[in-house]
Amino acid sequence: MTGTPAGPPPAARGVIGLDAAACTSCMLCVRECPDWCIELESHQEQVSEPGARRPRTVNVLDRFAIDWARCMYCGICVEVCPFDALAWSPEHRYAGAAPGDLVHDTARLGGWWPTGS
Amino acid sequence: MTGPETVLAAAVGDGLRHDPRSVPEAYDVPPAAWHEAVAALRAAGFTYLDFLTGVDRPDEAAVEVVAHLAAPDDRWRHLLLRTRTDAAAPGLASVADLHLGAAWHERETREMFGVEFAGGDPRPLLLTVAAPVPPLRKHALLTARGVVPWPGAADPADGPGGNPSRRRVRAPGVPEGWPRGEGS
Repeated sequence: MTGTPAGPPPAARGVIGLDAAACTSCMLCVRECPDWCIELESHQEQVSEPGARRPRTVNVLDRFAIDWARCMYCGICVEVCPFDALAWSPEHRYAGAAPGDLVHDTARLGGWWPTGS
Repeated sequence: MTGPETVLAAAVGDGLRHDPRSVPEAYDVPPAAWHEAVAALRAAGFTYLDFLTGVDRPDEAAVEVVAHLAAPDDRWRHLLLRTRTDAAAPGLASVADLHLGAAWHERETREMFGVEFAGGDPRPLLLTVAAPVPPLRKHALLTARGVVPWPGAADPADGPGGNPSRRRVRAPGVPEGWPRGEGS
């Protein structure tokens, strides 16, 4: 246990969670990150809407990954995301045995999305 | 105990500036008055040097030197003493004669910012080979930033289903062609 006897405070910068459904692959977090620790792979697809004359182009997220070994927990990515797809969580138990264990991809980052109050 | 502002005004004269926005309290002195300022504060009870370091201020063509001092007998009242040295030839008197621990801080500030401390210990502290540009100066570029691919270069429009219509974005702070182009 760290912090208070009840654990770290809710606003503690333990880890960053991803809401992949909210992510539009706009690349703002990737480009603003001072450590270059975010990787985002995506592609575009044409979506036809009934009644629309032309299909519209949408970004589709393929892979979102953060390397915690490089991250400096500044929170610029969380602040800059226009769609609130990134959020702080006080979870902090994710030490790994090898540096590669500290690269978390889309699913694992989704698991860190903060729940509760 | 006499307040630091009074003590510094007596030692430094007109060149003293108090920064009212700073927490902890901060005082700016001219570089020529650095040693007198530190000596006057030490005599007034600020006998604890917490750190001494540099701040690169390229917009002012200056390298700022900051010392964090505290008075253990005045409930650890603490302050920042600051000065601006000329970026072209940053130099200041050493205060290692007043605070023995300043020697290490000055050695690190010398090798990381290029500030010469007259009368101080000239040995590097951490770097085994002197860097061509002091590493913590803002114009010192990292080779890694030129050879590691920037993740921000990727774009959803680059793939087969894509509709690329935007101009390319370059990594902020990395000059064109670095490390072999400009800036190298």
